[in-house]
Amino acid sequence: MNHKGDFLSLLKHSATLPDDTEVAFNTSEVEMIAKHDLFSVGKKPLRDTNQFLSQGEQTPGSTLEIPEATTVVAVRYQDGIIIAGDRRATAGTSVVHDRAEKVLPIDTHSVLAISGAPAMAYEIARVLKHSFQYFRRSQLQELSVEGKLRTLSRLIRDNLPMAMQGIGAVIPIFALYTPQKDESENGGKIYFYDALGAHFENVDFATTGSGSIWIRGVLRYIDRWGDTRLEDMDQRLATITILRLLDTASEYDAATSGYNAKAEIFPTVKTITQQGVETLTDEFLKDCYVEAT
Amino acid sequence: MRDLPYRWIEAIQDRRDYIEDQLRLGSPVVGLPYEKGSLLLTVTKGAQKIFEVHDRIALSAIGHPADIERLRMLVTDTASVQAFQSATEDVNLHRLTHYVLAHTFKQAFEAIAGEAYIIKMLLVEIGDGDATSQFTHINYDGNVNIHHESAVIGGTMEIENAMQDYLAATETDSDRSFTVALQLGLKTWAVGRLLSQRFEEAEDDAEVTDEQIDDIIKTELEDGEIEVGILDDTLPSDTKFRILTQDEIKAFTEK
Repeated sequence: MNHKGDFLSLLKHSATLPDDTEVAFNTSEVEMIAKHDLFSVGKKPLRDTNQFLSQGEQTPGSTLEIPEATTVVAVRYQDGIIIAGDRRATAGTSVVHDRAEKVLPIDTHSVLAISGAPAMAYEIARVLKHSFQYFRRSQLQELSVEGKLRTLSRLIRDNLPMAMQGIGAVIPIFALYTPQKDESENGGKIYFYDALGAHFENVDFATTGSGSIWIRGVLRYIDRWGDTRLEDMDQRLATITILRLLDTASEYDAATSGYNAKAEIFPTVKTITQQGVETLTDEFLKDCYVEAT
Repeated sequence: MRDLPYRWIEAIQDRRDYIEDQLRLGSPVVGLPYEKGSLLLTVTKGAQKIFEVHDRIALSAIGHPADIERLRMLVTDTASVQAFQSATEDVNLHRLTHYVLAHTFKQAFEAIAGEAYIIKMLLVEIGDGDATSQFTHINYDGNVNIHHESAVIGGTMEIENAMQDYLAATETDSDRSFTVALQLGLKTWAVGRLLSQRFEEAEDDAEVTDEQIDDIIKTELEDGEIEVGILDDTLPSDTKFRILTQDEIKAFTEK
């Protein structure tokens, strides 16, 4: 295809994505529309079609409030990272789907947990997955951790026009495990992003979404004064803890679901360890729920 | 030149002779199915020769390294874009071979004013769930041959025929274990390498004994390494391709 670059430049070269000049044009078009408030009539319905969104408002001159109705949480435990998300998708006050997947495997050792607009979030996850694969296949080596973080930063930053309109913000948690030569070392890392693409490493835990405010303090309490620190928990204890946290979030946040016993719908829970990404089975989660409650 | 057809044919024949001469000493590649997937095996002296194309597709080639790299990137880029535009399941070896590679090879070969690709390529695809394999051999002139039981590429057609005869004589089927497949692949590679050396020394003896096979493996591994790429249907990731480490290869060859 005679292009020189990464997966995004390959897509632009193959006319799958618009090139930078087109993006610039579209961005200025968005700015012009925003200036003339052409979306004012359609603002509310547009927002309602975004399923993970709550009612974040952007008022001129104020800080952008990101709508993110969901709860995703990642914890560094004994073997690596455990990362989970509830399954509810909402439009305004309506529950539109109760089996949404918000914890998405990207490659053998990394996972993206999403909050924000689902269309953008899924597309970012898809581009990310293909970008990592393409790098490995074309360059004959894995993309570095820093390279992975920057690729995600770039995708989130490129989404800024949608975020500024209040209809397409994505605030993810990115967790990965760097395989270690000494298997007793914990190679798990958790990164939190803001809407502009800046990333921060959270050493012990991270949580985002509308339900996160209810559990962030609990995480801090457990990690500081709990009987077992988060990083000392085994898989079972970490799973029980994370299920209890999601249950707590669902108690106070209408946009977060708990365990649906009648339909047997469990949160999505994955671990990332030296062996790679593993999805915990419903049987295991059910067993943990019995102990947790 | 087009107004003098015989000159065009002559030029094509010269080009064919030139390319075959360049390919003659290439280290052969063997493709074999085993019970859970397929392997590609060769012996190299540094540069990687077995590559992942997509989740269930791998390739290897003999020829000029620059040509191998250019065509490897062509097929990798095409598969990546197709998978992104549509879905990973929609990427298949048939499309990549017939609509991307074969005509690129043929066009370059017949455009006698331009550069031809000095290459022979072997691609393999494993099925989803049933681990059935398809091997596709593409010649420098764009000719495509599809195999299901095994496939080889060697410096000349005679070398390839001898390697296939050796494989046929072993009477193992595609349900063979990985260890059996790897050891058989290495011996088949040795047959090709031995004949390639004999061509170089202008010997036309086609007989190969087990002792000669063992000897040439020992000699070639003094400054070379066995390279094995597998497409294993049991790998938990979407990507079924993996390059074996030297420790793993050693463990399997010493069994």
